[in-house]
Amino acid sequence: MFDLESQIRKWRRHIQSAGSLDAQHLEELESHLRDSIDELTGRGISVEEAFLVSIHRMGDAEELNHEFAKVPTESVWKQLLVPAADEEARRKQRTEIAVIIALAVLGGLLGKIPSLFGHLLTEESALIYAKNAAFFALPPVAIYLIWRRALSLRFMVVGAVVFAALVLVVNIYPSYEPHHTEVLSLLHAPIVLLLVLLVLYCGRDWHNPALRLDFVRFAGEVFIYAVLLFLGGMVLVGVAGGVFSLVGIDIEHLILNWMFIFGGCGLVVVAAYLVEKKKGAIETIAPVLARIFTPLFAVLMLVLILAIAVAGQAPSEDRELLIMFDIVLALVLGLVLFTMSARDAEKPADWWDWIVMALVALALVADVIALSGIVGRLLAFGFTANKTAALGMNILLAANLVTLAVGYSRFLSGRSTYQTVVDWTMWYLPLHAGWAAFVVIAFPPLFGFV
Amino acid sequence: MDIPKDLVAASATPIILAILRQGDSYGYAIIRQVREVSGDRILWTDGMLYPVLHRLEAAGFVKSTWQTADTGRRRKYYRITRQGEEELGRLREQWDVVHDALQRLAGPGNTGA
Repeated sequence: MFDLESQIRKWRRHIQSAGSLDAQHLEELESHLRDSIDELTGRGISVEEAFLVSIHRMGDAEELNHEFAKVPTESVWKQLLVPAADEEARRKQRTEIAVIIALAVLGGLLGKIPSLFGHLLTEESALIYAKNAAFFALPPVAIYLIWRRALSLRFMVVGAVVFAALVLVVNIYPSYEPHHTEVLSLLHAPIVLLLVLLVLYCGRDWHNPALRLDFVRFAGEVFIYAVLLFLGGMVLVGVAGGVFSLVGIDIEHLILNWMFIFGGCGLVVVAAYLVEKKKGAIETIAPVLARIFTPLFAVLMLVLILAIAVAGQAPSEDRELLIMFDIVLALVLGLVLFTMSARDAEKPADWWDWIVMALVALALVADVIALSGIVGRLLAFGFTANKTAALGMNILLAANLVTLAVGYSRFLSGRSTYQTVVDWTMWYLPLHAGWAAFVVIAFPPLFGFV
Repeated sequence: MDIPKDLVAASATPIILAILRQGDSYGYAIIRQVREVSGDRILWTDGMLYPVLHRLEAAGFVKSTWQTADTGRRRKYYRITRQGEEELGRLREQWDVVHDALQRLAGPGNTGA
């Protein structure tokens, strides 16, 4: 059965993928396409044929994009702040920009809370800031999502309770030298908060794998945007610092305690807004990034495994190496998820999926090496907070990679659809948050707050 | 008869402005009118009309507004501006000059003698 709506969506995505068209251009073209289809079907031509004739008349996507790119004032980035077409949309957009500015300021104000307790941002208090950074930067994003999705009170309460509970746990637990459990909760609390954001992003339907995958895309793109904004901010701060030091005014304190905190805490919600508003621009970057980095990471994993095999060095002997392993593995999982979110689930398997499969398989080998290393260290030195956390994370990762490997091989051998891989992986996501919550809440008391 | 690409590109602006001078219109209707008026001899690639319209808008020759049709479909309507009408006049004169020259050189009664 020919499904016109899904075909039009595909066509839209195809046209959009070359990158120089924004939402308004696309809407205009789609309206044209629909007019054309209506006229042709009115003459008794079947919907499918009318669709084919109409897209043919519309012209080649690449040429179209090339032509659109020539229109000088229509650059994609400028479009963002150009007022929307009609009065109501314009008013909505103004409200939204006001809300975002307010939320960014809120993030900055949250970031100033430690200074109320006498902790200015210095080397000694860096840990206080680091472990709370997510609690400064993410509540504005949560509020933005609640506002944008007009979520019910239930969501607000659940979100607020989880945020508040974690803030209390992280800040009220005592922490003694060498602060291992404190650093662990610093690393794990953001993962729990991500689950909260996932629920807020998806709303009532948060069990739906397609929506969860959309959140993965959202999170990945927010990360990319936030890094870009951060880099821009660093240039600004650097130039400001340079200029003022030349005129003999030391503004290091101002930079660190105001610009850095307000900028850093506010930019995440701005990034979230940009991703929500401007799906078009970055959607074309995400798959490109995924395509560049997937093979590179596959090579990296291969080199890592070979290096360990050649050097004959068991990772159990080297703590630093194990940590690096875990970071790389977490990055690989993130990359695979991001690739998944950029992929059309209905597309048949191609060579690209084999590369992802290879990356997953290599990561699994690396994970087994890391696991054996951790078990070796556990046997030698007994259970400590760090090693137990690493053990849990590696087991979770291994299980996740196994599901991915099984899913991909079934998909590549034609025994199941890509959607199955997506469903399994999305079902698995909350387990990571569950473990992270356990580490944050139960580890400090279990290991005596050291 | 196929009109070569260069000629299509050169004639698109005056044709679009001329159509809009008759009244506000949107992309699909403009394409249809061009087809009708030329007896299906001037055929544009539909999509290519829009970059041209957007360039005309950027140059200030037309203005656009979104409107919702009775069917609920949103359409972007274009209206010619005063500047656009002046531009149309200029283009018209230029085409007349070319047309005149061709007529005199290769028009009826001038069959290469």
